[in-house]
Amino acid sequence: MDSTSNGDGTAVELKIPCEPEYVGVARLMILGVASRMSFPYDQVEDLRLAVGEACTSAIGRSRQAGQDKSEITVKCLIQEGKLTIQVSDSVRGSNSEAAKHSGGSEPPEGGEISALLMEILVDEIRTESDPTAGTTVTMVKYLEGS
Amino acid sequence: MRFDVRSREAGDGIAILSVQGEADAFTAPRLKQEMLSWLDRGVNRIAVNLEQVTYLDSTGLGVLIGGLKRSRERGGDLVLVCPNDRITRIFEITGLSRIFDMLASEEDAIKHLRGGQDG
Repeated sequence: MDSTSNGDGTAVELKIPCEPEYVGVARLMILGVASRMSFPYDQVEDLRLAVGEACTSAIGRSRQAGQDKSEITVKCLIQEGKLTIQVSDSVRGSNSEAAKHSGGSEPPEGGEISALLMEILVDEIRTESDPTAGTTVTMVKYLEGS
Repeated sequence: MRFDVRSREAGDGIAILSVQGEADAFTAPRLKQEMLSWLDRGVNRIAVNLEQVTYLDSTGLGVLIGGLKRSRERGGDLVLVCPNDRITRIFEITGLSRIFDMLASEEDAIKHLRGGQDG
């Protein structure tokens, strides 16, 4: 896990293999960062779930594209009263919209619920897909009262 | 991040599955396997106790939805025991609380499933 600081805030970054067994490591990272920023317990749990969903979606895309060696990068940018989390994968040629509805081996509802949860749990969300580089989901959560 | 599923038969074709820990894309397939093993044995009234679940994501929800569909297709039902506010909230914000019957205790769940029996 790396961290850097400059005038724009402090960045903490983690790279994990695109495998379900490592998503828990990304959730632990968010637990640490969000707790340190004094987010209330419920919001820490919301962020953990949102990041878990973003990682699980990346794994779905990786499997769909048959790219088992992909990586997921989780980057937290800590700023005054604001946490920005970027979950990026290196899955090339994937379609993030189609992957939303893939849901792995489970019924399609799983993928749709994943997208819905991310929308609800954070204040802002943006998904950018580049067929030659991968997908980045950017989520923003504001610290209330700051 | 310990995860465990324990199950027992409560009589009258009812199975109780008690889930403990974090139910995500890595662990939820074990819950699915356990549910399918009961359904394959003809036990199609299932109560899933989520009291000890500390994390539930869309994969875990997908497994529960799949279990509900399969049990109802076989004339049974799947209900949840969910006294945990955090987990209940996930069902509420996704609208799934309207699909699942959510009971406060295993006793209530068994009573509910028995009440649904024909004859």
